[in-house]
Amino acid sequence: MNNDKVKQILTSNEMIVACIIIGLCIIIGIVNPMFVGQHTAINLSRAMLVTLIFAIAEMIVIVSGGIDVSFPAVACISLYATIKFMNANSIDSVLFAFAMSGGIGIVCGLLNAILVSKIKIPPLIATLGVSSLLNGITLAYLGAANISKIPDNVDSLSQQFIYTYTNEAGIKYALTVLILIPIVLYILAYVVLKYTMLGRGIYAIGGDKNAARIAGFNIIKIQFIVYMTAGFLAGIGGMTYTILMRQAGPQSLMGAEMMVIAAIVIGGTRITGGHGSVIGTLLGVTLIALVQNNLIMLGVPTHFQTFIVGFIIVVGTVITSIRVRYIDAKPKV
Amino acid sequence: MDKVKGLVKEADKNILGLLIISICIIIVMGIIAPNTFLSVANFQSMGSQFPEFGILAFGMMLAMMSGGIDLSLVGIANLSGIICAVTMLAMDGSVVGMAAGIVVAIIVGMLCGATNGFLIGYLKIPPMLVTLCGLQLYTGIGVIITKGPAITGLPESFALITNGTLAFIPIPVIIFIIVVAVLWFIMKSTTYGKELVFMGSNSTASKYAGIDNLKVTMTTYILSGILGSIGGILIVSHYNSAKSDYGTSYTLLTLLIAVLGGTHPEGGKGKVMGVALAIIALQLVSSALNILKVSAFIKTAAWGFILIAVIVTTQLIESKKTTR
Repeated sequence: MNNDKVKQILTSNEMIVACIIIGLCIIIGIVNPMFVGQHTAINLSRAMLVTLIFAIAEMIVIVSGGIDVSFPAVACISLYATIKFMNANSIDSVLFAFAMSGGIGIVCGLLNAILVSKIKIPPLIATLGVSSLLNGITLAYLGAANISKIPDNVDSLSQQFIYTYTNEAGIKYALTVLILIPIVLYILAYVVLKYTMLGRGIYAIGGDKNAARIAGFNIIKIQFIVYMTAGFLAGIGGMTYTILMRQAGPQSLMGAEMMVIAAIVIGGTRITGGHGSVIGTLLGVTLIALVQNNLIMLGVPTHFQTFIVGFIIVVGTVITSIRVRYIDAKPKV
Repeated sequence: MDKVKGLVKEADKNILGLLIISICIIIVMGIIAPNTFLSVANFQSMGSQFPEFGILAFGMMLAMMSGGIDLSLVGIANLSGIICAVTMLAMDGSVVGMAAGIVVAIIVGMLCGATNGFLIGYLKIPPMLVTLCGLQLYTGIGVIITKGPAITGLPESFALITNGTLAFIPIPVIIFIIVVAVLWFIMKSTTYGKELVFMGSNSTASKYAGIDNLKVTMTTYILSGILGSIGGILIVSHYNSAKSDYGTSYTLLTLLIAVLGGTHPEGGKGKVMGVALAIIALQLVSSALNILKVSAFIKTAAWGFILIAVIVTTQLIESKKTTR
């Protein structure tokens, strides 16, 4: 019995991804000793910070049986409108920035929720349409130029660090305080998904909508919460990105959906819904970020990057699908 | 008289709607800007524009009819375009080289489509995921070949494919008409066409009816890949260069066209004529917006809005039908 549990943990998806990450780190470390050190961890966490925020939002949507490809557009309209509004009215408050950005995100999420839940349009098509609509509105009515004037208080957040490390050569590496946002979000998501009725409901409607309805879950309510949360987190992610890059661009995040969905799928979340874990998502994002940022250390030219990331996703999904088949074929107790 | 009424009743409401929209745009634009909109030059320039994404839209239609989706079309188009360009340059841009380039491009499209079809049909990975990965993968291969910048210096005569005319009809339009005719024939008169519709509406039932679902899926995505590569060749000829990120906005546009043309997102329903009319209607809208000097960004928003509006209306009409 105990043996079975050990076996289950060892063959779990999270474990496989973790092993791949460790293996990749060892290989990169051997090829290029420059990789080993605290600075890699700091750079990596900075690189994956925003992706982490988007990934947890997207994972919740996918677990509920939907998909949201509109989050880059939602993030862009939220961050751009907020910064523009704050500059025009000379408002300078961090709290206001996040609140307004998140608020715009919630409104966009509400639009997605109505289309998917009430009118019952396939989520991919609905969110693709919303994405195009929002992006067009942002560029046509808000402006197409990057804004580099960020209100002072908001901007100063990018210069606050919770941990600094100086290497022998005297180069300083600092971990930004913004890393707390994803950390808090992941702990919160873990607790909500695992221990609350709402979280279990999200898994239930992703697994089988009819069964969930018969079991007494309010599907429409849960879907509204899921898509509005995703919109809110997209807004927060967009604002975080603005502070990190110290610039607000109306198109800066477009195209991010591919990487995020890839990271989630590699982390073991099933695109058909009902399965997925917070830890898996974290590991998936780490793996993708590791590949994206450190291929150059292995001597792989940068123009190979798109292909290699795509290839990893294909292999990852093939393995997942074979595993699903294998599990389904096993005799049920 | 009864016969006419019967014909109107028989005709698809969707096709009728699209026809009315197209005619309305022509009339309204004919009144507002008769000299620019109704000129031969405008129609010729429209004719060299729409076949590019129009042919891609048919690939999307086939995939959607099978109950899937093909988001990798633009990736396939660019990859086969790049390989076509490389082949032509390697053969010094002779006529034989051009022909070889086109053949190689179509083979590449078939291979990409076959990969998609295999992963979807045999390994049962959701189409959306496969083709999203496919987009990344094929674009990635394209980037490796070009190393980033566009491939230029293609033979001048290759540009004639999009710029040339045959008896005042742009050559892309002729290619487009051939594609429509072939697809119409496939959907109307072959076993594959019927099998595709069956599988799209209920894959379990089609399996028990003795249809080889894997074969139908493979054929569908291979056809879609071929259409993608034809679109790719037109794009290369249009820009007279090949690059891995041309036509990125076409993914949404093709999806919009397929849905506008009456293809059901959940599979089983779709008409070649509907999609063909949707392409023409959309090109008319696009051209009208251009002549009215509307910004390209508003066009992006308009595509999204039209897509949502069309699906919402059809969905509402359908739910009304079922409750009745």
